[in-house]
Amino acid sequence: MVAMEKAGVPSVGIVARSFAHAWRACVDGWGQPATAFVTISHACTGQQPDYIYRMVDEEIDNIVLGLTRMSAPSDLAGTSNGHSETGLFTVSLDDSPWGLDSVNRFMEERDWSDGMPVVPPTPAAVEAMLKGTRRAPQDVVMVMEPGFGLATVEKNAVNAVMAGCQPAQFPVLLAALECIAQPEMNHRDMQVSGHTEAPLVLVNGPVAARAGINSGTSAMGPGVVNKANTAIGRALRLCLINIGYCKAGAGDPNFIGLPTKFGMCIAENEELSPWQPYHVDRGFQPDESAVTVVTVTGPTDVLDTASRKPEDTLNNIASMMFYRHAGGGSWIRGRQSAQVGHTSRRVEYQGPYHPIMLSPSRAVILAEAGMSKRDTQEWLHEHCRTSLRDAIGSGVPTDADGRWIHHPELQPLAEDPDATIPALEDPEQYLLFVTGGSTHYANFFYGTYGIATKPVEDMPYR
Amino acid sequence: MPIELQIMSPAAPRVDFKVPPAPRLDTLNGKTIGLYNNVTGGADVAVNRVAEHMARRFPDVKFQSYGGNLRPNRPALSRGVHIDEDEAATIATEVDAMVGAAAH
Repeated sequence: MVAMEKAGVPSVGIVARSFAHAWRACVDGWGQPATAFVTISHACTGQQPDYIYRMVDEEIDNIVLGLTRMSAPSDLAGTSNGHSETGLFTVSLDDSPWGLDSVNRFMEERDWSDGMPVVPPTPAAVEAMLKGTRRAPQDVVMVMEPGFGLATVEKNAVNAVMAGCQPAQFPVLLAALECIAQPEMNHRDMQVSGHTEAPLVLVNGPVAARAGINSGTSAMGPGVVNKANTAIGRALRLCLINIGYCKAGAGDPNFIGLPTKFGMCIAENEELSPWQPYHVDRGFQPDESAVTVVTVTGPTDVLDTASRKPEDTLNNIASMMFYRHAGGGSWIRGRQSAQVGHTSRRVEYQGPYHPIMLSPSRAVILAEAGMSKRDTQEWLHEHCRTSLRDAIGSGVPTDADGRWIHHPELQPLAEDPDATIPALEDPEQYLLFVTGGSTHYANFFYGTYGIATKPVEDMPYR
Repeated sequence: MPIELQIMSPAAPRVDFKVPPAPRLDTLNGKTIGLYNNVTGGADVAVNRVAEHMARRFPDVKFQSYGGNLRPNRPALSRGVHIDEDEAATIATEVDAMVGAAAH
């Protein structure tokens, strides 16, 4: 609607009440806090027409007013545009229980927290964090939506301190942010979607050991051994909150959220994997360090207890694709697109990528059967299929003569009730990442948008 | 013994960007209203209901629908394919106002 207002077209949005704060946060960031909207009591997705009619009927007068009357200044109450406190503050504390919590209360009063206690970001602590990179403090890594905050190296360092990161972990965070900055990551939608989507940070190369990132047993869980994993994942979330202004219930309107949104970071268990590391698949050398970020929902466990042969393991992994929205052949309608920046430039990208976190022992089963990682991806691509009719759904883009714009070669099969197509466009969208303890499990995440891999700055920290 | 601790704000300065609101219409009569839905279930029902009401109130009002695969050689606007600046400029030549629903 902001794009339409910018084009000179008066516009009104119809928004469920629970999304009202998100609407305000988004249109505020996009430069037009007065963009008119009406609220209805519930999301209309899946509601029966009579119910939707009743909700719309109650608001029709306001919809007409929104198109014919400029919003009064009072309608703008609650917007935050241009009122960020970004400087240095002094907090008093003492050794009483109340006094020890002063910094946390200060942060919480400004909505600068993920809700858990933080390490105070003193200038000295931030300066120490900045020694983890050669980059200048005022380098802008990205402009983060929906608030269009400037993610300078220094601001990222402040959030890294709060999360409990060590300087040796800071380059991993910066690389993760470089990934998020790529248009194909669609970070706007990741931030503001009502659907729960969280960045999963995958680390490869020597930096994993340097930064203390666990790639073995329980690596995505709690525990001191996972301190680096937790701190890096958490630091990324704090950046998304404090730099991107993606505040719970406002910029972040997730239906219920998920614990995955507190942070997810894990390294590949390159030592036990029978296959080449994932960053090598992405064009890096084995002795280089790289971070991959993919936006996901889930995960769900793949229990491979009863398998007796490699096909059993593969079938168990493939069974996770039962969820019809896990790709669902949507590629025949063309690629997804991200809107980037204030011009809402549309950038097409390939997605989703479904990360399959494979226990080393499951990868060994497949490798011993003579399957490379690519063979495994191609098996999944071939066997995870969806009905062409379901993929078509309510239609595919056509030219003026009714010809399919994307994949016209499939159009002759459109009426064939038995025709199937791969659920995902390409085999590499099954992202096989060998990690964790060597057990009979895998974890399957449902990817939502694109993927990016970036090198990690090579710093001499140990 | 109280101590004073200096801390740095984790909040980032924001890019200052302002879009002026579009001028409002004097009346909807004789105007063309765009009905945008992002193809999430029910958004089309909502905007079509708006059109029913408007058609009763403003006999000469017309409508153009956007969303999904409705227009050959144009983006199939959806939850995953948004209106960008170019498409907005094209739509602006086709309608006088827009009502949008995203089923949210």
